[in-house]
Order: sequence, then structure tokens, then C-alpha cells
Amino acid sequence: MAVKQGRGIAAIEYPTGMNQNGDPSQAWIKMKPDGRVDVFAGTSDIGNGSKTIQSQIVAETIGVPYDWITYDNSNTDSSPVCTGTFASRATFVAGKAVEKAAERVRERILDIAGKELEIDPSDLEVVDGEVLAKGAPQKKLSVSDVAAAATWTYGELITGTGAQLKPYSSILDPETGEVDSPPHSAISYAACAAEVDVDDETGVVQVTRLVQVYDVGRAINPTLVEGQIEGGAIQGLGLGVLESCYPYYPSVEHRGSEFGSYLAPGMEDLPQLDTIIIENPSADGPYGAKGIGEMANNAQPPAIAAAVYDAVGVWVTELPITPERVLRALEAKAEPTRDGKLVVFDEELSVNAVPGGGMRFEVPA
Amino acid sequence: MKAVGARLPRYDGIEHVTGRTQYVDDVRVPGTLWTKALRSPAHSATFDGLDTSKAEAMPGVHAVITWKDVPLLEYGHLSALGIPADEPLLAKDEVRYKGQPIALVAAEDEETAMAAVEAIGIELEEREPLLDIRRAFDDDAPKIHQWGNWYPHFEGEMDCRQIRKGSIDDAFAQADTIVQGVYRPAAIEHVPLETQVSLVVPEANGRLTIYSCTQALYFSMGVVAAHLGLPLNKLKVVGGTVGGGFGGKVDTATETMCALLAQKSGRPVKWRWTREEEFLCSSTRAPWHMEVADAVTKDGWILGRKMLTLHDSGAYARFSPYGLTKHSFHHTGAYTIPNLHFDGYVVFTNRVPTTAMRGFGVTSVSFATETHMSRIADVLGLDPYEVRLKNANRIGDTSPNRIVYTDPSTVPVVKALAGGMDVELAPEYAAMGPGQREGDLLPEHLVAQLADPEDH
Repeated sequence: MAVKQGRGIAAIEYPTGMNQNGDPSQAWIKMKPDGRVDVFAGTSDIGNGSKTIQSQIVAETIGVPYDWITYDNSNTDSSPVCTGTFASRATFVAGKAVEKAAERVRERILDIAGKELEIDPSDLEVVDGEVLAKGAPQKKLSVSDVAAAATWTYGELITGTGAQLKPYSSILDPETGEVDSPPHSAISYAACAAEVDVDDETGVVQVTRLVQVYDVGRAINPTLVEGQIEGGAIQGLGLGVLESCYPYYPSVEHRGSEFGSYLAPGMEDLPQLDTIIIENPSADGPYGAKGIGEMANNAQPPAIAAAVYDAVGVWVTELPITPERVLRALEAKAEPTRDGKLVVFDEELSVNAVPGGGMRFEVPA
Repeated sequence: MKAVGARLPRYDGIEHVTGRTQYVDDVRVPGTLWTKALRSPAHSATFDGLDTSKAEAMPGVHAVITWKDVPLLEYGHLSALGIPADEPLLAKDEVRYKGQPIALVAAEDEETAMAAVEAIGIELEEREPLLDIRRAFDDDAPKIHQWGNWYPHFEGEMDCRQIRKGSIDDAFAQADTIVQGVYRPAAIEHVPLETQVSLVVPEANGRLTIYSCTQALYFSMGVVAAHLGLPLNKLKVVGGTVGGGFGGKVDTATETMCALLAQKSGRPVKWRWTREEEFLCSSTRAPWHMEVADAVTKDGWILGRKMLTLHDSGAYARFSPYGLTKHSFHHTGAYTIPNLHFDGYVVFTNRVPTTAMRGFGVTSVSFATETHMSRIADVLGLDPYEVRLKNANRIGDTSPNRIVYTDPSTVPVVKALAGGMDVELAPEYAAMGPGQREGDLLPEHLVAQLADPEDH
């Protein structure tokens, strides 16, 4: 009886935006008389940081400081349509809408600055809250002065609207699943290694380290990307070794009804987390970004399952990998059956083992 | 300074960490009524004799609603995509999961509302529930849904989501080894710190202001508008700041019912679920059953994959057909597999309906196919990094639904992981990039699936 170490890996991909698209996001922006910026978008922030990310995109695109931005997603009277915060779409799809709105605002700033400076707008740029003549930065006007001129001199309101919609990707052939256009906005990639300690007497699996690599296209805010990755890792760890609504699924008995009877990960479950971010920019995302939100809990469970096998020589393919399941697997010491070139694991779990036989999974030997 | 790429402080971080963020339950409106639900005590039952008269007559009770009070009783989560609806807002004649709402009471306080719920008369006749998706297809399985035990409305009125590419029979015939396994990730809870909650205020101008914890303001507004038969200018949804969602708050769980109670009582109405309701009555991540058989060569090429997926949808469809379709589109994961035969079913059971959760549809298939990948490497005695790099999708390869990959990163992320783990790869793998196939990386079985990466 001993605590044994194991390692396992997994590599995954995940789509950005709603599957098959057709999910619009819209935004509009107005500028106050001192150049401060009000962004209206309908994207709920569920803790993913979309208020921050979209504000950064607006600040960068217009060319003003981040703390000039007020972001309002509070209600459907003032904010336009956003399909919602799901499908890893708040940065790419909704972020693209605010980027487009901000581009319109920047154009309006340059138009009015051009009149004030008597320089063609195409020869001007906005940098850090100032409009500068390209190649002659001594000729400049603050964005605050431009906004004031718009308001008090020209009688105009500086605004911009933007919308992002990738058309619905139709299934051309329901027999084959062929589609008429890419059914996603982008694809993100990740790989994960898990290191585990498995106690072969108690069956307890302790995940000691997760090394994770994510291609996020472009990290708009690396701190928030790391937060998604680390938070997702703990959720993936919960999926892998702790959480279940129905511990004896498909039975509905023993269902947890409170924090004390449902095992979500706690601080004592935290492994060492090592994160590597790769930036392979997407063609169409704001500043090359792709989605990171959801995929962050997908790679850990298979990496953990492989690590448990590496440690104690049993595959547990019903999640979570609880002490009870580990001990039962160690007791059964099940080997795959071999028939010709066919190697079959988990025969007892298959639909083929169900007496009624209404559904079969046939594979030639 | 540059804003994009900078580690700028979270826009709402200080509010969150000092406890000053205003969530839905922090909104207080004078005269607000509180809501409690009569929920099904059975997993499956028919009922009649629903009698709310005693509850309605109780002091402090201002409104009781049942299915009769809902202008449009059934409106599906995917109705906006043209998919038919199957779930009544409040149960009518039968219940299909334990905790399903049957009637709602709005009263001066939660205790009065609960007492009124207990005064509602109902006669239930329990039925045998269906809980095991593997049994749903058997002749003697309980019949539990008006559409049958599995979803029949995929394109072409097909009852399963299919993917077919190349020839699975040829792949099995050419394989040196076929590796088969079964994968069953569990249902889990979303466990948001903020339980499902909404507050609906009937305004003097005839509008309804809906304070909501939804993850999708406009989606939830559309759901409420459809059930109530109202144009969007009669509704104002207030929210955008959510105390944890993870997919569970894409469901519009409380808003429509609060709106009906507010209309009926003329008073502001709040419904906040207890932690016990959040655990037992809110939707969960789905349990999945996946069977995978991969045709492989002795040097580690995957020639083909046959896969069967059963998705436990719970009692109603909600987003499950969407989730299963997304699942099918990604069942080759980060690799290129030229011969595919995938069948996926959305199966109904008498458990709480399942719904979106982080990684929806793909978390399950990533677990199945990546655990399977590790098993293949082990069965063949090959290095798990190298098997992955060998089969990695590349520029110019095509996906299960024949979309050309233009910028896949499987090779870079796997190589970076090897670096992070101090694993030394053989020279031909260490030299790999994600570019178009040639030479040893373009074996005969991968020629037919290629496409022009410019043609996308």
C-alpha cells in the first residue's frame, strides 16, 4: 500500500462564438463634452471580465486612456442587442462590436480635429488622448478639446455604433453533417499535463500539478486570461475527481442538496498551476483575440484520467474519479478483451451490455 | 499607454472585493411581494384536482398562478432558431421531474407564501420514471415525452445528429488495431454563489422592469415577451452583473413567472431560490454516455473513428440539441481523422433538465476522445505526445463537417507542453510546425480529405 505518482496529458480545441453562428452583438458609444467615453453594450459580465476587456478594446481603438471609459451594460433600454455571455463569445463577438463602434468614434474625432487644425483627417492620428499630425506631432489638439469643439462650436454629438454578426452556418446535408460555412468565429487550442498522487489504499486522487498551454489568439488582458485559465483548471479538477449531482448515476439517490453534501473544489484541493500563453492571432477577432472562457475546464479531466492510469494501472472512465471508483477498479483489475485486432475496454458500461438491446454499438472484429 | 495587452485593473474589481456590487437581491423596492413554488415531489406523475382556492384566500397572499395564467405556455429555449417547444412554463396535467414548478404564490413574506403553497390541493399519480439513457430505446422503457424518448427534430426530421465522412468500413478493414472504450462524465452543478433570482416591478406607465441575473439580457427579454405576448417596449431588463453563471443562467428560470405574478398582483414581486432549490431544481450540466472505436495503425495513425453519443437531456430539450450538434462538430478534437461515423441522440429522462455549462457539448467529447487517445498510445506502446503530434490537425486539413482549418495550433500547444514538462521529443517531432502536410506527414489515407486553405 503506497501513494503512487502519475502523469497524463491531453490536447484540445474549442470554438469561439455560438456553434453555427447567427448570434449578433451590437454596441454604441457617445462622447461627453470633455472627451470621456460612454460605452453601451448588452453583454452580461458573469465574472469573465467582459466589462474590462471591452473597455480596453474601446480605449485602444479610439486612442484614449482606459480610465476615460465608462461601460454601461445595465439595461435593455440603453444597451443594444447582445445575444449573451456564453459560447466564449464576449471577447471575440461582442468585443468586435465595440471595436467597430470605437472606430466610428475615432473617425468623428479626426473629422472635427481636422477642421480645428485645418489638416486633412487622414493625416491625423489619436494617441493617448491627443490628436496629432502624423510626422509633425507638435501640431496637436487634445481629444477633450475636440469633444468640447464638437459640443460648443459645431453643435454635434460624437457617437459611433457597431455590430458583429456572422451569418448562420447551415447544415447542407443532415446525413453527413456537411455545413455551408465555418460554424464558428475562431478555434482556440490548449494542452494540459496533470500530475497526481493516488493512494492505492484509500483510493484518493490528489492532483498535485497542472501545466497548461493555451493559444488565446491575443491576450487582451493577460491577468484576466490567467484568471480564466486558473479558475477553469479548478472547475476541470472538480469535474475530474470531485463533483457529481448523482453519485450513483443513473440513480437519483444521494443527490447533494447543500454545500456540505456536494463536493465542489476547495482551497485544500488546489494543485500547483503553471500556465503558458501562446498568441497565434485569429484572422477576424478584435486585435487577434479568440475565446478562452469555456475551454478552460475541458483539458484537465482526460489528463487526470491518464495520470491515474499511469500511477496505479487502472482506467476510470466514469467521472468523477472518486476513491470508491479507484478502489473498485483496483479490485477488479479489469483488462481489455481482445478479439482479433479489436481491443475492447469498459464492456460492462456499453449499451451492448443492456439486456433490452434497443440501442447497439457494433464494431467489426 | 497601450490598453490592449496591458494588465489593467478589473473594471468592477474594487466593487466586487469590497462587497459593494449591487446584485439583483440587493435591489429593494417598497411593497415587494415574495414568491414560493409548489414543486413536483415525484420524478414522474400525472396530476389533477389542482385547487388554489384556499391558498388564494389566505391573508397576505396577493397572487397565485398555474399553467392557466400563462398566455403562451410552451416557449422553447431554442424557439428563436425555429425549433419546436416542449416545456410548459408551469406543469399541466403531468410532471416529468422532481422539483418541476406547478404553481406559484406571491405573498407579503416568504413564510406566508410557503404556507399558501402547502394549502394548494393536488392529486398526483406516480409513474415509473425513466432514468437510464441506455434503456430509453428498449421496447419496455417508460414512454416519458410527447416526442418519444429521444429528440426527433434534427434537420430533415432526423432523430439523431449524424456525421459521415470517408468510409469507416475501409478504415476498420485497413486498421492494425481497433481500440474501443466507453466514457461517462457526470452531471454537475453550476454552483453560482448567487442563486437564481429576479425582481419584477410593474411601473405606473404599464411597463415591467425586470431585475435579472441572466447571462443574456436580450435572450431573457425575448423569452418573457414570448410567454406574455408583449412587444419589447413593454419590458426593461436590468442586469448585466451576475454573481456566477457558468451557463446555468442562460436559462430564464424565474423572470417570466415573476412577471406574471407582478401583472396579476399589481405589486413588485421577487423570487429568490434557496440554496436547496438551486441544488435540486436548477438545471445541471448533462451526463453523457459516449462509445468510441478508433481504427489505428501500429505506428499510431488514426484512420477512422466510429462514435455513439447519448446525451442525457433530462425531462425537456432546452439547449440540448444545440449542445449535441456542437459536440458532433468537435468529435475529432484537435486531430484530423479522415473516416468518420458519428451518431448522437438527445435522450429524455425524468431528471432535472440539463442545460448549458462551461464548455457545453465539448467538455464531454474532450474527456472521451482524449482519454481514448491516451489509451491508444498505451495499447500501441507509443509516446502520448508523439501520437498527438502525428495526428494533429494542420493547415489545409478538413474538420468533421468539411471546413478547412486555416490556423490550427495543436502542434504549437503540444510542443509547448512538452517543453513545460521537460519532455524531450524525438527530432522529427521537435521540428514540427502546424503547416500544410507533406512528406511523411501526408500518408495516403490523409490525401482525400485535404482542401485549399485559401478556399474558406
